[in-house]
Amino acid sequence: MLALLFILFAALAVGCALAMVAQRNPLYSAISLVGVFVSLACLYVMLAAPFIAAVQVIVYAGAIMVLVVFVIMLLNVEHEERRPPRLKFLVPMAVVLAAVLIGEVTFILVTVRDFAAPVSNVGLTHSIGSALFTQYLLPFEITSILLLMAMVGAMTLARRGGMLTANARVVPGTQQLPLSIVDPGAKPYDLRVVETDTTDEAARLLGVEGLRDQSKRD
Amino acid sequence: MAPQLSWYLALSAVLFTIGVTGVIIKRNIIAMFMCIELMLNAVNLTFVAFASFFQDVTGQLFVFIVMTVAAAEAAVGLGIIIAIFRNRETLDVDDASILKL
Repeated sequence: MLALLFILFAALAVGCALAMVAQRNPLYSAISLVGVFVSLACLYVMLAAPFIAAVQVIVYAGAIMVLVVFVIMLLNVEHEERRPPRLKFLVPMAVVLAAVLIGEVTFILVTVRDFAAPVSNVGLTHSIGSALFTQYLLPFEITSILLLMAMVGAMTLARRGGMLTANARVVPGTQQLPLSIVDPGAKPYDLRVVETDTTDEAARLLGVEGLRDQSKRD
Repeated sequence: MAPQLSWYLALSAVLFTIGVTGVIIKRNIIAMFMCIELMLNAVNLTFVAFASFFQDVTGQLFVFIVMTVAAAEAAVGLGIIIAIFRNRETLDVDDASILKL
């Protein structure tokens, strides 16, 4: 029974992965990849790892794939254009490497000593949490720093430079903002330097009166 | 007959190979990105299989951290993809072969 389930989900995963690679439309590839993720989550449940299965569905099939589909639709790519393949010498090399990999898989299937899976409770949320917050606390904290760096990096990359609206506030710090932020009538990119902490103070130092009324309206 | 450890390892190897093939043959940068995600998942399957068969929670914690890294990679990678598209109006990696904008 378990073997039948394994074969079902493994076939689903491999089929969806092949469909993903064969597909030319990136959106269909993304949907196939969601199929791979869900069938892998089913395999995790079979391996007595329900927490990892839940995280797999939530993080991969939920968050990451939503992000990917969002970018696909944002950039509006319909399909890849067909082009004659370059680097034709890679095709026989790919065949040879695939043969090597099939040999490796056969080696694994033949030589790895099979033993019955013991009834395992290491995948429960309780055991994962206790290990994560005692023995593996340092990797956990490093991971949180990594996430912070990724967040800042993604915002920096995706931001358009120099596109500040007229009602943006002057941020304390060392950046130089165009004068048109405090004075809507100023020429764009007039970079007279003043050091202030607030927009109102900048307006006062630059002798601009129009903004104070505007900020009161806000 | 219950599924054996070697079955999971073989499945993981097959999935990883499909991912490598996709990275090599795809030209669309988003498709390559998704193939990398597939490779990460294949490795995760190996980790979970070993953790379950050896009764050790360490493998599952590895999977947890790999997923976090994958999420960070998705955020930064998609930001890079958007920046490339904004500069070059294309998603073809052959057109983005030099770093100069």
